Amino acid sequence: MVEPSWTATTPLSRIYAPGRHGVKNDAARLSMAELTGFELVQVMARRGMWSPTDQACREAYGQAAPAKPQATRAEGALLIWSGPDQIFVLSPRGSSLERARLAFAGMASLSDQSDGRTLLRISGIKARDMLAKVCSLDLHPAVFPAGAAAATSIDHTSVNLWRGEDSAGDDGAAVFYLLVFSTFAESLWHTLLDSGAEYGIAIDAATPWQG
Amino acid sequence: MRIACPFCGPRENSEFSYLGDAKPKRPGPDAGEDAVYEYVYLRDNVAGEMAELWYHGGGCRAWLQVRRNTVTHEILSVEPAAGAGAASVTP
Amino acid sequence: MSAADQTQRLAKGGLIDRSKPLGFSFDGKSFAGYHGDTLASALVANGVRLVGRSFKYHRPRGILTAGSEEPNALVELRTGARREPNTRATTIELYDGLVAASQNRWPSLDFDILSVNQLASPILVAGFYYKTFMWPAKLWEALYEPLIRRAAGLGRAATQSDPDHYEKAWAHCDVLVVGGGPTGLAAALAAGRAGARVILCEEEPTLGGRLLSDGGTIDGLPATDWIAQAADELSAMLDVRIMTRTTLTGAYDHGTHAALERVNDHLPVPPEHQPRQRLWRIVAKRTVVAAGALERPIVFGGNDVPGIMLASAVRTYINRYAATPAKRLALFTNNDDGWKTVDAAIAAGLTVAGVVDARQEASADQRALASKHGFAVLNGVVDHVDGGRKGIGSIEVALAGGARATLEADGLAVSGGWNPSVGLTSQHRGRPKWRDDIAAFVPDGAPPGMSAAGAANGAFLLTDCLREGHSAGAAAAADLGFGGSVGAAPSSDDAPASSLTPLWHVAGKKKAFVDFQNDVTASDIALAAREGFQSVEHLKRYTTLGMATDQGKSSNLQGLAIMAELTGRSIPQTGTTIYRPPYVPVAIGALAGHHRDENFHSVRLTPSHHWAAERGAVFVDTGLWKRAQWYPIKGEKDWLESVTREVKAVRGGVGFCDVSTLGKIDVHGPNAGTFLDRVYINTFSTLAVGKARYGLMLREDGMVYDDGTTSRLAEDHYFLTTTTAKAGLVMQHLEFCRQVLFPELDVQLTSVSDQWAQFSIAGPRTRDLLCEIVDPGEDLSNEGFPFMAAREVLLRGGLKARLFRISFSGEMAFEISVPARFGDALARNMMIAGEQFGVTPYGTEALGVMRVEKGHVAGPELNGMTTAADLGLGKMMSTKKDFIGRVMAGREALVAADRQVVVGIKPVDKARRLRSGAHVIRKGEIPGPDTDGGYVTSVCFSPMLGQWIGLGLVSRGRERIGEIASAHDPLRGEDYEIELCHPVFYDPEGGRQRG
Repeated sequence: MVEPSWTATTPLSRIYAPGRHGVKNDAARLSMAELTGFELVQVMARRGMWSPTDQACREAYGQAAPAKPQATRAEGALLIWSGPDQIFVLSPRGSSLERARLAFAGMASLSDQSDGRTLLRISGIKARDMLAKVCSLDLHPAVFPAGAAAATSIDHTSVNLWRGEDSAGDDGAAVFYLLVFSTFAESLWHTLLDSGAEYGIAIDAATPWQG
Repeated sequence: MRIACPFCGPRENSEFSYLGDAKPKRPGPDAGEDAVYEYVYLRDNVAGEMAELWYHGGGCRAWLQVRRNTVTHEILSVEPAAGAGAASVTP
Repeated sequence: MSAADQTQRLAKGGLIDRSKPLGFSFDGKSFAGYHGDTLASALVANGVRLVGRSFKYHRPRGILTAGSEEPNALVELRTGARREPNTRATTIELYDGLVAASQNRWPSLDFDILSVNQLASPILVAGFYYKTFMWPAKLWEALYEPLIRRAAGLGRAATQSDPDHYEKAWAHCDVLVVGGGPTGLAAALAAGRAGARVILCEEEPTLGGRLLSDGGTIDGLPATDWIAQAADELSAMLDVRIMTRTTLTGAYDHGTHAALERVNDHLPVPPEHQPRQRLWRIVAKRTVVAAGALERPIVFGGNDVPGIMLASAVRTYINRYAATPAKRLALFTNNDDGWKTVDAAIAAGLTVAGVVDARQEASADQRALASKHGFAVLNGVVDHVDGGRKGIGSIEVALAGGARATLEADGLAVSGGWNPSVGLTSQHRGRPKWRDDIAAFVPDGAPPGMSAAGAANGAFLLTDCLREGHSAGAAAAADLGFGGSVGAAPSSDDAPASSLTPLWHVAGKKKAFVDFQNDVTASDIALAAREGFQSVEHLKRYTTLGMATDQGKSSNLQGLAIMAELTGRSIPQTGTTIYRPPYVPVAIGALAGHHRDENFHSVRLTPSHHWAAERGAVFVDTGLWKRAQWYPIKGEKDWLESVTREVKAVRGGVGFCDVSTLGKIDVHGPNAGTFLDRVYINTFSTLAVGKARYGLMLREDGMVYDDGTTSRLAEDHYFLTTTTAKAGLVMQHLEFCRQVLFPELDVQLTSVSDQWAQFSIAGPRTRDLLCEIVDPGEDLSNEGFPFMAAREVLLRGGLKARLFRISFSGEMAFEISVPARFGDALARNMMIAGEQFGVTPYGTEALGVMRVEKGHVAGPELNGMTTAADLGLGKMMSTKKDFIGRVMAGREALVAADRQVVVGIKPVDKARRLRSGAHVIRKGEIPGPDTDGGYVTSVCFSPMLGQWIGLGLVSRGRERIGEIASAHDPLRGEDYEIELCHPVFYDPEGGRQRG
């Protein structure tokens, strides 16, 4: 008997190629990366239970559950609005599902989506121009500030998009995060690469989500 | 066209699916065949203001009731369905 | 060719860059031009007058305009895969090495055989095709259509796939300004200064609009300096975006617009990774249409002779491009604006042959100019022009007093007045209103948030344009709450208002063209009027007026005016046709954008996709999914051999199949059971935790909607599966039930389709394989894990998985779910662990064979027209509860005894192949609608039975088991005998799946 080995793969791991993509003669004006090693819990308040869910969130995560399209940094997790009276709890891989179960017992229904989504980071001075080719939202800084989130569609596929804190690097540019359905991830990744190729893309090594 | 989702804000029409007239209400279990027939098949063909059901499937997955003028395409109001989110509804 | 050969190029002046000479070819001849030229201006500079042949009569045609409204100068641009037909020479930016060719001529532009159509012109009138090719009907396919197709069309599309990339993008702003002329610039400046986010779209590569052709002084600056200053100020504003080479093509609902950006059309080949064109969707809160106005021709005999050009276009070629369309120019005008062309011609050193002015009297200034430069001012009209492919022969003038005169010239500038561009403002069915003072339609009832300013609004004076633009831009910004200082409106002291006397048509015997591109003449309109096609919409379709690629920009109004005159109505009474997008032709490539070839739609891949690809699986497109269809191994000669091997391996040992494509939905909440009772025909609230049940959903009309297995994982948690095809729709349906139909139920839904990698493991050795994977502490025996059990199990190595004892193949089978990131590893582990049992991965084809052998229904039977009873599942319908579709399923027709129901079908000749789609007829009956008794829905070669078998929907099928019937397959020309049988061909007692 051979003991089974459980090597995890992500939908991108077999095609992921860190390095430059697209135009190569200048500095890359776009950076993209897959972020791995996260847990994602869908929290859906039960009927009439949004207030207790919000309260439980404050107690367990130190922050209100976002009641409108926002992504809120909380203790050990990012709380992302995903629809009316429902949020995603995104945290580094650990025991976040258990933590959420304890926090929301009896007031919200939970589904583990850690493998159901693939997480991408898009940044650089051309991030908005590239996203404008695939996303119908207005991402102007005044309309979509840091911390703004949206449930929208790219290529007719549902995604969750939010804007994190601006890049600490030289460009200080906006940083966008995209949660996409895992089975669409490879296809969307190619679409994003095609859309950003004219700006020169630096594909960073896939790294675990750090919050 | 664009629909202002009460949860997400104005969104482009490809994020939504159209179901149709929001007026017919599903008859109760004892309503009989004629009432159900009417609910399933009979629709007004309104030129003007109409209440319609739209699904924001490409966004927050809320069902919406949209009052829309079918002639001018003007959208007069957008309301969430009674049971969107965690709304508590007594039968 | 050297730059010196540009015989019609002025020695100085113009906005071309003489330091950048360019070479190009037209119809195989080499020419030179300059950067800043259009193809049209470069042809003018080289003295090329004949550029194309007309659509119907193959008349020789020259350049009429200098803009995107051009009806005549349509050429094939580029060669090979990049060849683009019907491209307007007036909008093509010249680049070095450009290759263009005239079209709709054979063998050459100078000598075109089909120009004999001109001789046949008395019969090629309006409605010719409708009247001529009517009978006999059988000649249509054989004769008429090929004939018409050969003669029709202009340029030739490329025969190879377009190698360039196109894309689509979104943009958002507060104020969208359409047009970068004086009005648009003033509007953008005002809105931008107020603090609004502004997008300004300009069709041309440079800002300025008519200022580039007509000049002028604005705020004391020469026009070009003022344009540069305005552009600088706009560029410095952070939230103002100037999009040149971008034509706004459509205004859609709620502030959505379409705009076509020709990103790289001005280059031979787009730079690497850049698109050729980009189709923008611009969402704006306010829109200022500053799209200007188009000059209109006058209809007279021979008005299409090459060398006749709109007066404004003549000025554009002279002033902007330093190219002279004629050496000796005449003018035919009904207004003062046309006289500007005389000024331009004189300034360029051309000879003015004379001015034909339809108005009663020329002004004193005009008379003084004429006498100074020695040309005649003739009060009258151009009766006709003689000429042809060599250009103008003579210009015959009918003087007001009845006398006639002749002008000798090689160019005739024509001005019939100006039409404001009312297309965009009228695209929401707003009807423009008529203004007598300018004899033109102006916008009325624009879409919400849209206003028109400047020439597009009927204000033709430069200072009025600037003022209107400024105030429209300021008003749009103020309306949105932007309070920044907008400054003063720019001003100009140009000439006083132009007087105009309407003149549409000079009646005469010679062919007088209204719509140049579709060869619609004044007499065609008269014919339409006589035959009763007097409504503008009828006129349009009967004569094809305004239906060419230019959409009648330079012809519609003349056509309406002629119809008005003929029918004794005014022009506003006659009305306009409906304006629709797009304003200019848009390539299909731009509309498709990124979505072509392998990017036609997004693709979904299962967690084991790359593993399957490594094994050489053949994939099939199932909706957006790629699914492994079968896994060929070396030496197998066809798919049937591979599939047969896979089926036998499963039925004789063990195999597995990735079924992750099934829709998976978590149904949570205290009322989840009640909720499922209402959406399924059978009962789920009574299902024990740890058990699975097959469920069937109906539509409210009583027909079957979807099926699948649903398991109860906890008191308040069900795991529901759907078919692959309906996954998204079932989710939408369930949300509808939750939010709209049954909002009182406390239920939460979410799709977990992508969270789980799910495999079906089937065959008598399934447990042996599972024991290698599943932790030894788990009891997989029949007692410990009975048929239809479902629960979480521990796998060897510590991974948690879900195990379901369900079977689609009819074999002893489980489905196993692991978090998707372990799906690839699970497939590899099963291959390693199962090697000792000959484990065989199988694809959708083997899955399909085994389900037909077991008589399980799938897509071909769940066709939206079948009831639960039709599928043999009528007994599942609960009578103790209400559920969706219950009442309508009881309708008379849906429970009729003669309904077509699922049966098994075998060919009587065991060696024969069965085909789906064949009709089932009672033996001895003649096939036809009255005798049709159903059809074969699914077929396969059954390795277990060693013959082809199938399922069918057959009228009264269950009563007819054992009957020999006829299969009638008219598509394949086959008739053969079949036996109707029980649909479960293999293991009808079901012992294998329970064992």
